[in-house]
Amino acid sequence: MSVRGLGGLVVFVAALLVPAFGSRFYTFLANDVIIWALFATSLNLLVGYTGLVSFGHAAYFGVGAYVTGILMKKLAVPFVLAWPAAGVFGAACALVFGFFCVRLTRIYFAMLTLAFAQIVWAICFKWNELTGGEQGMPEIPYPDFGWLERLGAGVPLLGGWRTAEYYYFLCTVLVAASLWALHRIVTSPFGRMLTTIRENAERAEFIGVNVRRYELAAFVLAGTFAGLAGGLFGIFNRGVFPDFAYWTKSSEVLIMTLLGGMGTFLGPSIGALVLILLNQQIVSYTEYWPLVLGTVLVVLLFGFPGGIAGAVGALSGRLFRRARSA
Amino acid sequence: MLHVFTLLLAMLLALPLVAEAQKPIKVGMPMPLSGPPALFGEPASKGAQMFVEELNAKGGVLGRKVELLIRDSKADANEAVRVARELILKENVDFLVGTLTSAEGPAVSVVAKENKIVFIAPIPKTDQLTAADKLHPYVFRVAATTTMEGRSAAEIVAKWPVTQVATISFDYAYGQDVTRAFVEHLKKIKPSVQIVDQQWPKLGEQDYNPFINAQMAKKPEAIFSSIWGGFFVTYSKQAKALGVFDVIKYNFIGVGEAATPETTKSMGADYPVGIWGNSYDAFYWGETPAHREYTARLSKYLKDEYPSSWAIQGYIGMQFLTEAIKKAGSADSDKVAKALLGLSVETPIGPLTIREKDHQANRGQLYGKTVKDPKYPFAIMKPVTYVDPSRFMD
Amino acid sequence: MPDASFVFAQSLSGLTAAMFLFLIASGLSLIFGVLRVLNFAHGTFYMLGAYLAYQAMLWLGPGPGLFWLAALGAALGIALLGGVVERVLFRHLYEKEELYQLLFTYALGLILSDAAKIIWGTQQKSVSRPPELAGSFSLFGATIPQYNLFIIVLGPSIALAFWFVLQRTRAGRFIRAAALDRETLGALGVNVDALYTGVFMLASFLGGLGGALISPKRATTPGMDTEVIVEAFVVVVIGGLGSLWGTFLGAVVYGQVLSFGILLFPRFSIFAVFALMAAVLIIRPWGLLGRPIR
Repeated sequence: MSVRGLGGLVVFVAALLVPAFGSRFYTFLANDVIIWALFATSLNLLVGYTGLVSFGHAAYFGVGAYVTGILMKKLAVPFVLAWPAAGVFGAACALVFGFFCVRLTRIYFAMLTLAFAQIVWAICFKWNELTGGEQGMPEIPYPDFGWLERLGAGVPLLGGWRTAEYYYFLCTVLVAASLWALHRIVTSPFGRMLTTIRENAERAEFIGVNVRRYELAAFVLAGTFAGLAGGLFGIFNRGVFPDFAYWTKSSEVLIMTLLGGMGTFLGPSIGALVLILLNQQIVSYTEYWPLVLGTVLVVLLFGFPGGIAGAVGALSGRLFRRARSA
Repeated sequence: MLHVFTLLLAMLLALPLVAEAQKPIKVGMPMPLSGPPALFGEPASKGAQMFVEELNAKGGVLGRKVELLIRDSKADANEAVRVARELILKENVDFLVGTLTSAEGPAVSVVAKENKIVFIAPIPKTDQLTAADKLHPYVFRVAATTTMEGRSAAEIVAKWPVTQVATISFDYAYGQDVTRAFVEHLKKIKPSVQIVDQQWPKLGEQDYNPFINAQMAKKPEAIFSSIWGGFFVTYSKQAKALGVFDVIKYNFIGVGEAATPETTKSMGADYPVGIWGNSYDAFYWGETPAHREYTARLSKYLKDEYPSSWAIQGYIGMQFLTEAIKKAGSADSDKVAKALLGLSVETPIGPLTIREKDHQANRGQLYGKTVKDPKYPFAIMKPVTYVDPSRFMD
Repeated sequence: MPDASFVFAQSLSGLTAAMFLFLIASGLSLIFGVLRVLNFAHGTFYMLGAYLAYQAMLWLGPGPGLFWLAALGAALGIALLGGVVERVLFRHLYEKEELYQLLFTYALGLILSDAAKIIWGTQQKSVSRPPELAGSFSLFGATIPQYNLFIIVLGPSIALAFWFVLQRTRAGRFIRAAALDRETLGALGVNVDALYTGVFMLASFLGGLGGALISPKRATTPGMDTEVIVEAFVVVVIGGLGSLWGTFLGAVVYGQVLSFGILLFPRFSIFAVFALMAAVLIIRPWGLLGRPIR
C-alpha cells in the first residue's frame, strides 16, 4: 500500500474513533465535516479537474436529500435502496442539466448552472404536496440499525452506541468509499483527460477528443456524488429543507473547495474541515461570522491563491507535489 | 485516622451531588433575532430574560439558577434545527423554550423528541405541532393555535355586513392552517359568505403589489390577512398606497398580531388605522392588577413607556417551565414533562392551563378595532377584548 | 375574467418592480461589460444604499424635498465606497483568474453586509414615502401610487441618459472602447485605470440609488442583498450581459412574468422566472439584445 493509501487508512480509522473519545457534539461536527467533504470533492471534479466553474452544484445535493427523504419518510423505503436512489436521481438531473450546460462556456456555463439550481429550489420550495414546501420535511427516519445492535451484542466495540453514532459510523464508511471511488476516477485515464481539457480544451479537440462528452461525463459524476452526499445530509440534519438547493449553498461548497485548494484531491476536504471548525470557533465569540469569513477569503485571495492545501504544498514541497500528480 | 479517612471519603462522594445542585438549569432559546421576524422575536426573548432575571434574584428554582441561552434562528426551520441541536449537544441544555414560526416549531419538536428534551413552544401556532400524529411526550405549546385564531377571526368577520371575502396569507404551515380554519368556520356560521379570492405570497415576500392587484380585481368586501411581523409593515404600506383599505372600508382583519403596539408604533402615520387585528398582549389592556403590575415591571425592564406585547410569550413559556420543575421537584425531562400535563399557571394575562389531551394551553388573544387615541402617538385597539378560546378548542 | 383596469394595474406594478431592478442591474451589466467581472457585491451596495438613505432621513428629518437629498446623498456615498474598493483592492485582481475576482466580490459582499448589521442592527428599518409623492391617483379605473409612477418614468429616463452618455460623449466612447479592447485604449494614451475606477463608481452609484429609492416601498433589512443579486443576474442574463437596452428589456420582461405569473400560475411564478433564464441561456446565450462575447 502506498504512503497515500496508508495515510488515508489512518484518517479513516481516526474518524471512526471520534465518538469514542469526543463528546456527542464532536461526533455531530465530524458527521457534518465528512458529508461536506464528499460534497466539496464532487464539485472539485468539475472545478479543479475539468475547469468548469459551477454556481449551481447544490441542485444535486438538494435533489439527493429530497429523494432519500421522501423515499424513507413517505414511502418507508429502506436506506439501502433510498441512498443509492439519491445518487441515481442526482445523476439523472445532472445529465439533463449538464447536456445544456456543457454547450456553454465560462460565465454562461456558470449562469446556466445557477438557473437550473434555482429551478430545483423553486420546485422544492413550492411543491407543497411532494416536498413539504417552505417548511421542508422534518423528521427523516434514521436507517434501521437493529441488525447492527444485535450484532454488537456479540462483537466487542460494535454494541452500545447511540443511533446518531451508528449513523456517523455508517456515514464514515460510505463517504470513505465514495471518496475512494472519486479518487480512482481522477487518477484514471478518464481523469487525466479531464485535466487535459482543463488545460487547453482546443488542443484536446484537435487531437480528436470529444470534449463535450467528457465534460458531460464529469458533470454527471459530480452530480451523482453530490446527490449521495445530499442523501446522507438529509438524514443527518434530521430534516430536509428547500434551502439545500438555494444558491447560497452552492456558494458555500464552492468556497470550501477553493479555501482548501482546488488543485489537490484532498483540498476540498481540508476546506470543509477548516471552514466548519472555524465557523464553530468564531460563532462562540461573535455573531459576525460572515465578516470573519469574508476577511479570511480576501486574505487568502491576495496571499494564498492555491488555498490551504496549496499553501501547505508550497511550504512542504516534495511530499505534496507527488500528491498533485496522482 | 480511620474516621478522618472515612469522613474524607464521604465528602468525596457527596461532592458531585453538591456540585450538581449548584449547576444552573440551562434553557436553550432559538428565536429569530434578525430581519422582519425580529420585530416579534426579539421582544419575546427579552420577556423570557426578564422572567429569568427576576427568578434568579429570588434564588432560582430548586435552589438552582436558570441560565437562558438565546440563539438567532433567523426564522428559518433549517437554522432553528441546527441551533437547537448545537444547544443540546454542545451546551447541554436541559430544556428548550423557543422558536417563532410554524416552520421552526415542528422542526425543532423533532429534535426535542429524539433527544428527550422538554420543548415549550411559546409562539408557533400551526395545529400540526400538537396534532395527533406529531404529538410526543416532550412538546408543549403556550401559544394560540391556528384553529383558535382562525375561528376567533371568523366570528368577528361574520358580524360584518359583508359576504364577499378574500384572504391573503403566506404559503406555509401557519398561513395555510389559519386560513383554512378561518374559511371553514366562517362558512359554517355564515353560509352566505363567498370566498372570492385567495392569495399565497411566499414567506418573506417584499413586493406585494401583484398579489394586491390580483386580489382587488375580484372586488372583495372584506379581507382576512395572516401576514405578520415586519412583513405586515411592508404589506400594509403597499396596500395603503394602492387604496385597498379605503375600497373595502377598512373591513380588514389582520391576524398574526397586526395590531400589536410594536407594529402600530413602528409604522406611525403609515398604519392603516381602522382595521381589526389581534395581539397577545397590550400594555393598555390593564384589566387586572396582576397585568398592570407586570406591565409596570416590563416597562421598567425594557426602558420603554409603551412596552412590547411579545415579551409576554417568552415570559409565559418560562413561567410554565419553572412551575413544572418546581412541581416535579426535579429538572429531569420525563418528570417535568409529566408535571406539565394539566398544569395551571397564573400568568399576567390570566390563568392558563396546559391540557393533557394535546399539551395545548388555552391561550386566547386580544382582538379589537384599531383607532387613533389622543393619549398615544400610535393607534391602539379600542375596545379591546380577550377572546377566550375554550369553545374553539376541539 | 380579468378586466382591462386590472390588467393595466398589474402591468404597472410589474413595470415598477422592473424599473427598480433596471437601476440595480444596469450597474451590474456595466461592470460586466467593461471590467468583465460579475460583481456579487453589487447586491450589498444596493442594500447599503437603502441603509444610508434611512440614516440620512434620520438626520434630516421628515420634510419636503429632504428625501431626494437623502437618496442622492446615499447614492453618492455608495459611489465613493465603490471607488475606494476598486482602487485599493479590486485593481490588483484584474490579472488574476476570473474565479478569484468573483470570489473577491463575494467575500466583499459578506464583509459589507455584516458591517451593515453592526452599524444598524438586525431589525428591519422603515422609510416613509416622500410627502410630495405620497398620494395616488386613478388611471383607467386602477389606483396608481404616485411614487410608482415616478419610478416608472425615472427608469427609462436614466436609460436614455445612459445611452446618451455612451453614444454621444467622449467618456462614453472610451467606456465602449474599454469594453472592447482595454490594451489598445491604454496604448492610445487614455488613462484606463481612472476609467475603470470611474465605471465602478458609476455602477455603484446606480446600485446605491436603486436601494435608496426602493426604501420607501420595501423593508430595509438584512438579507435584501442576497435576494436582489439573483434577480439582477436573471435580468442581465435575459437581456444580455453588457447591453444597456438588453438590461432594460430584461427587467421589463422579468417584472411582467412575475406580475402575471402570480395570476396565471401562482404556485410556479418563481419557477417561471428561472425557467425563462435557463431558456434564454440555452437558446440564445448572449441574451435578447446582447452580443456574443468570446
